[in-house]
Amino acid sequence: MRRLPAEMAFGLGILALFGAVALLAPVVAPYDPHAFSGQPLERPSRAHPLGTNDVGHDILSELLYGARVSLTVALAAGAGTVLLGTLVGGAAGYAGGWVDRVLMRLVDGMMSLPRLPLIILLIAFLGAGLPQTILVIALLFWPTTARVIRAQVQSVRTRGYVRMARLFGGGPAYVFLRHILPAIGTLVAHGLVVSAGTAVAIEAGLAFLGLGDPTAKSWGLMVRFALNLPGLFLTDRWLWWALPPALCITLLVLALTFLGIGLERRLNPRLNRRWQ
Amino acid sequence: MNRVFQGFVGRVFSYLFSLWVILTLNFLLPRLMPGDPLAALLDPASSDYVFDPEVRAALEAYYGLDRPLLEQYARYLVGIFTGDLGRSIRLSRPVGELVASRLPWTLLLVGTALLLSSALALVAGTEAGWRRGSRTDRALVAVHLLLANVPVYLTGMLFIHLFGARLGWLPMAGGRTPFARYETLLAAALDIGRHLVLPALTLTLGMLGVKFLLVRNTMVTVLGEDFMLVARAKGLPEGRLKWGHGLRNAVLPFVAHLAAHAGMAITGAVFIETLFNYPGMGRLIFESVTARDYPVIQGVFLVVSAVVLTANLAADLLNARLDPRVLEG
Amino acid sequence: MLVVRDLRVTFSRDGKSGVRAVDGVSFELARGGALGVIGETGAGKTTLARALLGLHPPECVQGSVRLDGRELAGLSEEEWRAVRWRRIALVVQSVGTALDPVYRVGEQIGEPMRFHLGLSPAEAWARAEELARRVGLEPRHLCAYPHQLSGGEKQRALLAMALGCNPEVLVLDEPTSGQDMLSRVRLLDLLADLRRERGTALLVVSHDLGAVARLTEEVAVLYAGKLVEVGPTEAVFGDPRHPYTWGLLHSYPDMDTARDLRSIRGLPPDPAHPPAGCRFHPRCTQAVEKCRHEEPPLVEVAGRQVACHLGGLQTLLRAESLRKVFFVDNGGPRSPLEAVRGVSLEIREGEVVALVGETGSGKTTLGRMLVGLLSPDGGRVVLEGRDLTAAQGEKWRWLSRRVQLIPQDPFDAVSPRMTVDQVVREPLDIQKVGAPPEREEKVRQVLKAVGLPTDPVFLSLHAHELSGGQLQRVVIARALVLEPKLLIADEPVAMLDPSEQARVMNLLKEIQVERGLAMLLISHDLALVRKVADRILVMHQGRIVEEGPGSRVVTRPIHEHTRALLESAPRIGVFTAEDAEETEF
Ligand code: SF4
Repeated sequence: MRRLPAEMAFGLGILALFGAVALLAPVVAPYDPHAFSGQPLERPSRAHPLGTNDVGHDILSELLYGARVSLTVALAAGAGTVLLGTLVGGAAGYAGGWVDRVLMRLVDGMMSLPRLPLIILLIAFLGAGLPQTILVIALLFWPTTARVIRAQVQSVRTRGYVRMARLFGGGPAYVFLRHILPAIGTLVAHGLVVSAGTAVAIEAGLAFLGLGDPTAKSWGLMVRFALNLPGLFLTDRWLWWALPPALCITLLVLALTFLGIGLERRLNPRLNRRWQ
Repeated sequence: MNRVFQGFVGRVFSYLFSLWVILTLNFLLPRLMPGDPLAALLDPASSDYVFDPEVRAALEAYYGLDRPLLEQYARYLVGIFTGDLGRSIRLSRPVGELVASRLPWTLLLVGTALLLSSALALVAGTEAGWRRGSRTDRALVAVHLLLANVPVYLTGMLFIHLFGARLGWLPMAGGRTPFARYETLLAAALDIGRHLVLPALTLTLGMLGVKFLLVRNTMVTVLGEDFMLVARAKGLPEGRLKWGHGLRNAVLPFVAHLAAHAGMAITGAVFIETLFNYPGMGRLIFESVTARDYPVIQGVFLVVSAVVLTANLAADLLNARLDPRVLEG
Repeated sequence: MLVVRDLRVTFSRDGKSGVRAVDGVSFELARGGALGVIGETGAGKTTLARALLGLHPPECVQGSVRLDGRELAGLSEEEWRAVRWRRIALVVQSVGTALDPVYRVGEQIGEPMRFHLGLSPAEAWARAEELARRVGLEPRHLCAYPHQLSGGEKQRALLAMALGCNPEVLVLDEPTSGQDMLSRVRLLDLLADLRRERGTALLVVSHDLGAVARLTEEVAVLYAGKLVEVGPTEAVFGDPRHPYTWGLLHSYPDMDTARDLRSIRGLPPDPAHPPAGCRFHPRCTQAVEKCRHEEPPLVEVAGRQVACHLGGLQTLLRAESLRKVFFVDNGGPRSPLEAVRGVSLEIREGEVVALVGETGSGKTTLGRMLVGLLSPDGGRVVLEGRDLTAAQGEKWRWLSRRVQLIPQDPFDAVSPRMTVDQVVREPLDIQKVGAPPEREEKVRQVLKAVGLPTDPVFLSLHAHELSGGQLQRVVIARALVLEPKLLIADEPVAMLDPSEQARVMNLLKEIQVERGLAMLLISHDLALVRKVADRILVMHQGRIVEEGPGSRVVTRPIHEHTRALLESAPRIGVFTAEDAEETEF
């Protein structure tokens, strides 16, 4: 077995940590994040390591439960994005011709739309909520994956062995499963990781803007509530209230980015070579 | 030359098409959404009911929901081109006016940050790429990798705390000192400048990471090209190699990405303006979202989209000027 | 003027094991001279070319490069700048990507003049126009961007660019690659003219032997980073001495379009793990034990330098003025018939020599004398330095292990009472080679090598149960089983039908290359042998009347008898347009 590259190890480690926290939140969290477990705005203490928020919820518990929201969005929105992207990109690359032209036009068009304002508009009309967030992310971010997948499928499709497989009577389904899918496996994994990272950042951003699910206490929502407190930055309260969730978001996004870099190295060994 | 001209016309058309898609999307979205959010505004039984009769009348007139869809569409388009973007529910003012008062702030913020981050990224990226594999390169890559992944509001919070609250050097919020009356233009510029520093710096850092990595990686690719070997074999001075051939080629993808970066900058601006209470479009979005002020959200969406599309076109044309291969296909 | 001594270029992979792309190369290039460096892809040619301009990281390069007595190795990047282009210029191989896509071609041609000679942009442009005209470009080409030029135009632009500062040495890396026949010829003419006009010394790095032959007086052959033969171009190309040079020249399609590609067996070594000893030994047909351990130095042989322990290509078999007289008994007094009248010939390691002549020309008699089946009435046969005249006993047994005969008629050559197994094993039984299981193994191997089945059923068949082609393969297998160095094949396919002829001929050729054998092919059919023979001897009335490289003999026969033979040969596809275009050395 090859040694895991450092960036992969880092990414996987952080992900595993957050995963464990999300799964075990009820066990490791000292309180129910929705319970009034103390006075409002308590400073950190033995009972509340990160203090309490403006309504007396334990911040540490909120933080731990927040991992669930972020990871759910990462997984669901990432998977949705990649699924759409792979389907469209695969279809365009495999079919070629006018199908390809129409789909790629669509991709180009979507890529030139300003995404965040569009997301805000969509969420504003769809209503805020986790399912909506996931849906909107998947609907707007698939073109990036589609482009990459299309390019790869196109290049595989014209290889000799695929043509031979067709010659031997392999139908499109056979060719796709046997030859094309394996060729895009790592690319799909890479797309998943990158989209998941984007999804986490977007979800946090939406929650921050007040477009997140008001019932799902996410890290972005925590930052928003903290910022709502007038004069937050005049004391050091933000250090244990706003900073930890922001750091968690950063760390999770960073972990996914590193994982992506690791996968990219695997995809393109040329990146490893030192230039002369 | 003819082919170049054709290419140019083609681009412009494709942007006009995108613009039309956006306009239409903006028209259809609120009308097709489940639950009919617009109707709710005029329905006394709904929680979104608009109580101000004047605003209600304006809304009714603007959306004209009782008319056939095509007529609504035609009126909508005519309205857009005559500058009528509807009326804010919350502030009871025309959306066009609101946007016009906010747009300059955002342009100032985004423009400053785009210029700064581009300049820094080009210089640092070129140097890092030139020294690929060295310790300087690795350190720069690590720093920018981090920058590219930190949400802007985190950097912003740190700055507010450090320079605003702790050190008290710079204002923590707003675009200018409230209720200030300026004696001279210079005083006004200074005040606005002081308020701009932190948000602009935050946004600059927010974009720097991605831009730097783009320049640096392209530079590494360019340096591996055969023409760089030839340029080196020609005995050209280092500066000519690095900037004249290296960056000159590495700048092409950078320019091609400018439009995407403009979109990114606007995204960042939304967060930063919210955080710094900066009176731009981003803050306006934030406020309107909180108040469910649909006409404003739509208006902002339209204007921002138009700005991004224009940036797209501009970047494309710039790229065509810089790269003789573009446009000729 | 340019003196390179013991140049080594080592690339490290991840700082670990070094790949030595160029290993101890030395040569000299005189002012205005021209040196060719030839070798296969991956031999280190491009690395060598770039090293001369200091384009590798300094820590990778060892050894000395002197220009007019000044040491260039170890110069700083800054000092190299002054040498590059002003004194040594380079035309790179990758023409398509060698020009910066964002500048006009004229600007790029003028660029070095601006930086080295201090010309203003306008002056540089004017000079660029002059140069461009000289290399055959028009002013409009200078205003174009690289992507608007064709490959040939780019090549010329690169050449004009290289000439800008009037360098003393011009390094050309594969100047003809990717060019069609016509532009290749024009380019070579142009280069030769430029060299004459300006006195620029040329270093031509190429696998295009024709180009090297046209442009240079000296040539160095590079194999796996080492020089194996260095000498005057004419001598090296006309009479290669290193086994690798010999193989390279003979595998080159441009050099001999009439014959099928002959490859050297095996593949060039992985540069990260070059073989110990002589780097060519795994592919060499004449390697000895010493070659495995010791690196051969370059030593003077026949007017050039060769790096080979044996002093170069060995002569396997030499016949000196062989004579044979038969006395024909046709009723009256026994009249002498001189079948072979003083024939001398040489067969070198790994070489295919065709002996062509009509029936009765004496070629079969000669063949039998060479294998020792017939003793000559005069002259002698020397195999690997041992005189074989009247070989007997031990020497005879040794001889039959080195040389084997494939006769014309397989039905005649195989006992009808023996099975395939017995036939092929017979030589082993006779020579008492190995234990029975070993012999069985060997039989199986050679049968496989000639493409025959090895199952017990086939092994127990008798001659009459086989087709002509199968039987001839059995005969070939039998000849191979003792692992000879030389095969003498006397009309090996004459008895077969045409399609089988081609197949068996190809098989023989394949076996010859793979096993590194030499072969004497005796035939009446010029059209057949030209496909496989390196050299052709034409025999007429007991004498050799013409001898030369296969392609030459076929395309430009000297002796009238050869011409007669050619005319009678089947014409299908023998003379094609390629033959006329052939490059001569
Ligand atoms: S005989 Fe030995 S030294 Fe000479 S080329 Fe062959 S292997 Fe090398």
